[in-house]
Amino acid sequence: MTKTLARLACWLIWTAMIAAVHAEDAIHSPSFAQTFVQKYCIDCHGADTPEADLALHELTSVEADNAQLWQTVWEQVALKQMPPTYESNQPSVMERLQLSNWITSNLERALQDQGGFQTHLVPAKGNHLDHELLFGPLPAGLEPTSTPARIWRIHPQEHLTRLNELINREPDFNPQRPGLRTRGDQIGPNEDGEIKVYYGLDRVIGWVGGTAAYAAAITGFPPMLSTDDHHGLRNYPILYSVNGAEAVQIAGNAEDILHFMAYGPNAEPYQFADKVSQIDRKYKHESLRGLSQSLFYGKSVKRPLTPVYDLMHEPGVSDEKLTAAVNYLFESLTLRPPTEQETATYVDLARQSIADLGKEEGAILGLTPIFLDRDALFRPELAEEGTPDQYGRVMLQGHELALAVNAAFCYIAPDKSLTQAVKEGRLQTREDVEREVERILQDDTIRKPRVLQFFREYFDYDRAGYICKDTRALITAGGDNKAQAYYRTMFGMTANTDRLIELILQEDKQVLYELLTTDRVVYDANQDKRYFGEFVGKAKSRSKTIEKAPATAPKKKAPALPNTIRAAQLPPGDPIHVRIAQVITPVKTERSLTTLPAEQRMGILTHPSWLVSHSDAMDNHAILRGRWIRERLLGGAVPDVPITVNAMLPVEPRETLRHRMRVTREEYCWKCHQKMDPLGLPFEMFNHIGLYRTQDHDKPVDATGEIIDSGEPSLDGPVDNALDMIRKLAESERVKQVFVRHAFRFWIGRNETINDAPVLQDAYRAYEESEGSMNALLTSLLTSDAFLYRHVDRP
Amino acid sequence: MLNRRNLLQSAAMGAGAAFCSSLSLNIAKAAAAPQSSPKRIIFFLQNQGFDPATCVPAGLKSSASLADVTLPEPISPLEPHKHKIHIINGLHGRHTSPSHSAYFGALGGYRGGIGVAASAETIDHVVSQRLPETILPHLCIGMDALENMVSRPTLATLSATGAGQPIFMHSNPNDLYQMLFGGIATGDVKRRFEARSKVLRQVERLASNGGKTLPERDRDLYRSYVDGFREMNGLRQRLGEVSDHLQKFAPVYGDKFLKPKFETDWHDSLLDIGIAALQAGLTNTLTIGSGRGEIFGSWKGLGVVEAGHNLGHMEQPDNPIWIKIRQYNCQMLVKLMESLEAMPEGNGTMMDNTLIVYTSNNADKQHTGGANWPFILLGNCGGRLKTGQFTQLDGKRPINALYTTLLHAIAAPRDRFNMDDSAARTLDPKVGPIEELFA
Repeated sequence: MTKTLARLACWLIWTAMIAAVHAEDAIHSPSFAQTFVQKYCIDCHGADTPEADLALHELTSVEADNAQLWQTVWEQVALKQMPPTYESNQPSVMERLQLSNWITSNLERALQDQGGFQTHLVPAKGNHLDHELLFGPLPAGLEPTSTPARIWRIHPQEHLTRLNELINREPDFNPQRPGLRTRGDQIGPNEDGEIKVYYGLDRVIGWVGGTAAYAAAITGFPPMLSTDDHHGLRNYPILYSVNGAEAVQIAGNAEDILHFMAYGPNAEPYQFADKVSQIDRKYKHESLRGLSQSLFYGKSVKRPLTPVYDLMHEPGVSDEKLTAAVNYLFESLTLRPPTEQETATYVDLARQSIADLGKEEGAILGLTPIFLDRDALFRPELAEEGTPDQYGRVMLQGHELALAVNAAFCYIAPDKSLTQAVKEGRLQTREDVEREVERILQDDTIRKPRVLQFFREYFDYDRAGYICKDTRALITAGGDNKAQAYYRTMFGMTANTDRLIELILQEDKQVLYELLTTDRVVYDANQDKRYFGEFVGKAKSRSKTIEKAPATAPKKKAPALPNTIRAAQLPPGDPIHVRIAQVITPVKTERSLTTLPAEQRMGILTHPSWLVSHSDAMDNHAILRGRWIRERLLGGAVPDVPITVNAMLPVEPRETLRHRMRVTREEYCWKCHQKMDPLGLPFEMFNHIGLYRTQDHDKPVDATGEIIDSGEPSLDGPVDNALDMIRKLAESERVKQVFVRHAFRFWIGRNETINDAPVLQDAYRAYEESEGSMNALLTSLLTSDAFLYRHVDRP
Repeated sequence: MLNRRNLLQSAAMGAGAAFCSSLSLNIAKAAAAPQSSPKRIIFFLQNQGFDPATCVPAGLKSSASLADVTLPEPISPLEPHKHKIHIINGLHGRHTSPSHSAYFGALGGYRGGIGVAASAETIDHVVSQRLPETILPHLCIGMDALENMVSRPTLATLSATGAGQPIFMHSNPNDLYQMLFGGIATGDVKRRFEARSKVLRQVERLASNGGKTLPERDRDLYRSYVDGFREMNGLRQRLGEVSDHLQKFAPVYGDKFLKPKFETDWHDSLLDIGIAALQAGLTNTLTIGSGRGEIFGSWKGLGVVEAGHNLGHMEQPDNPIWIKIRQYNCQMLVKLMESLEAMPEGNGTMMDNTLIVYTSNNADKQHTGGANWPFILLGNCGGRLKTGQFTQLDGKRPINALYTTLLHAIAAPRDRFNMDDSAARTLDPKVGPIEELFA
């Protein structure tokens, strides 16, 4: 379609839409859905013609009994699955929106007493709102947007980081070594994938036994709050509370943390020395391996010495020291100063407990409730002060606004400038927020793990180490014989991708395009060359298993099914550091910023971290990869899999994945799978552990695919392989707009509505006019009404 | 709606002749037989699959009595008790995606998967709500590698009260002991228990205050936070009120709890707490997750050096490792049965009113499609279910049908469990319980 035709189509849609807005009253009528069904559905799904065994003629009101059917109707209509495209009688986008809203609001009502209905509010359903409605002409009379007043349970990483601040002193940002872990960075997984905060890690000078014994001996705590462990954005405030079991864990760990704050490592005097050689040999016996007694600590104190330390180290309990400890803990855990009443409440509580149990036990037990304060676990955005405007909106103010701005970037407390701005009344207007946002964005010493977290959730490259691989399938694909080495490499590669993203954000030019197409890679030659290499095929003999043997190649046992791989040989690059939490002594790394062969790879979708994250135990996962492209780049969606579908591909180990996926081409399946499979199969040019390949099951790889019904007609058409497809997509305006939609969801914490269209268009414009600057996009979003205003229910 | 209650009512009114199929006859027979009332159900799920070759007696291809056959070696500890068990082969769970584990789907009868939230309540929760009320409605314990039980003492992968509402398993026996039996201690331990109770009540009050000004939608969300404390405090209070009674059942709190040599010491300790909770009448439903519904696990205390996910990649039949693990499970089942048989209840023992459901959260094996999902039932649930029996089903009925059967057995009948008619069209050709299982 030419541009002129596209514009004409757009105008027609919007003419219909604006007419529909004026007829808004009609959608509240009980007969609204019935009229829609009669007009568009009943020909094929009537009493006499129930196609697919589905009759809708008696479907009128939404009730608990027919909720599942209505949900199906909602998805089919919202996603333009129905009526089928060959039908000429199609509802307008506005009619589809009206029916969607009618169904979802009625589902909320009908299921109120049965656990509620909020499927339409979860991130995975964000694309159910038609893209054209958001980026087309704005309808007249659109009310300005806002976000409901709410509390937002803090992210598990934020919680962990706040607790870490109490017991560990982290290095400040060093501009000479920008990749190293710094105070305020997220607490990443160690090379075995475990995320933990450790007690006294920086003070350990030695231990008995090997690295495994060390890992077993050092104590710490994992994240205590949970999040959904699925692909995509997953941190909306509507999704999480704190359950009883989590509260129990927080309370238990709070006592350990307070004990450590007061007394340091829980160790015997003999475990402290300036050097390990000074420790008596009898304390280095092998039988102690893996036990906490096997750790040796330096004598100098490294942890922060806080008012809790002062309280516990002075005789008796003075009001001054107890109050100081309460205030310090409260501010550290809630990121705001306590009110006088809050201080008095927690001091009283601690005093009672001390009276019951004595100072040492009583103070520690009595201070734990601060860890369970509402604001230590939930960030309030209640906008309780201020007069609502005519739309019921109030702008966030004071500490709530400062914490909202801070939380857009950081897991730790706001910096002094932001705190000072609140104190001095310089954080009240949109311009004030813009000033602070721009200042924070320009300041590298303020770490911004939330920005990186967005890219982790948007791209989903951070799951590689967690994808369980069948040992035989791993070796057959050219992976390491030792599974543990493979998983460690994958966690390392995730950290490498983190760093590459940070570098591209630092440049802040055409950020999305660069991420999709860059030839650069953060690369550890020691560990990564196998996985950035090429899978050649089955070896003729065991002696030729690996053409260019990597350092980690097996020495004793040859793999059961030998294969040849060609290890990557990338140009030498500049040394670079990445952040990976390390408990045990790491293997030797040799990280550099270098480039990848252009004919094999392009952008992070072709890096093993992303490819493996979108694979399964045995093979590639073309459906998941295709779904990612459909949702994250094209802004489309796929309805939930009907429970009646047996979603298993045939087990045919001697066949290619493409051949096994023939079953999804059956008419019933293809309606949805055509949205995913042709977008995922181009990645067949890589195997399931990320190796480039030209052969698959002894046949030339078929990596062809097709972009179907993308919403941007110039994109549609066949593609030769993943590189061809990525190149086309990276240039697309729609893809950039969909990226903006995801950024909106992440930072605003909800799905967009039609009222957010102006915010999205402004953000997209800011991104475009700044040559693809993430900073400009963020500044636009964080100064928008959606971010600043809360809708409140008071007069 | 055709359900057990309607059927019985119809029969009583003499109007049920037209409905007297073999189904209704069996159910009516189950209801008419002299029975005690079901009071408790125990669910025991071993991870990594339950291969039928390790539980179906050799040579049995169709339903038969177990009287004249020998149980396979992996479940041989059940041989002396085989008149009390019912081995079921031929249910399916294709719709639960059990490849690595169906997670919540194993007890929910719906699609599960790693990181996939529960999409509805699970059968153990439903049962706990229907059986006679106890202080703890439902206790879940999970057994894993020692380090995992230390670092993640609670985990929710198997049980749920509803969509997105997981129930956490307890895996640190020390924490669980303190929670259930801390109130019966004396001296300093008692003083600490009471001081902690006082603090927790204050925390509940503060948390409750924090929710007063929240918007309506958030109030529901926040309520679950406050409810956590309310439940915790309510439980502590109720346990305190029955401390004299609890004293008789508390397990010996010794080195197995405090200085475990292997993970199996904690597995045993958790089982002892579970048994004590059942004997004391603290709970009517116990869910045991051996391997905690996940793809890992460790049994070094049995001499099994291999641990973790690779255990699932091994064939189970004739595998010495899996024989050890399965026999260990069965020894636990025997301990459960014998402990409950030792406790008088009504005119018989606690075991007379108990049913144990043993299976895997992973159907028959790793990387399975779920076409076959073996179960063993132990006990007759108050005389309602057949025992001493092997039942071979035709692979057409889903695990949901077994859960429906359990609900009928405890007099809480439904036509189906977690399956609507449209799903049933391809997944379950019949309505109601599995008639072959009734006594």
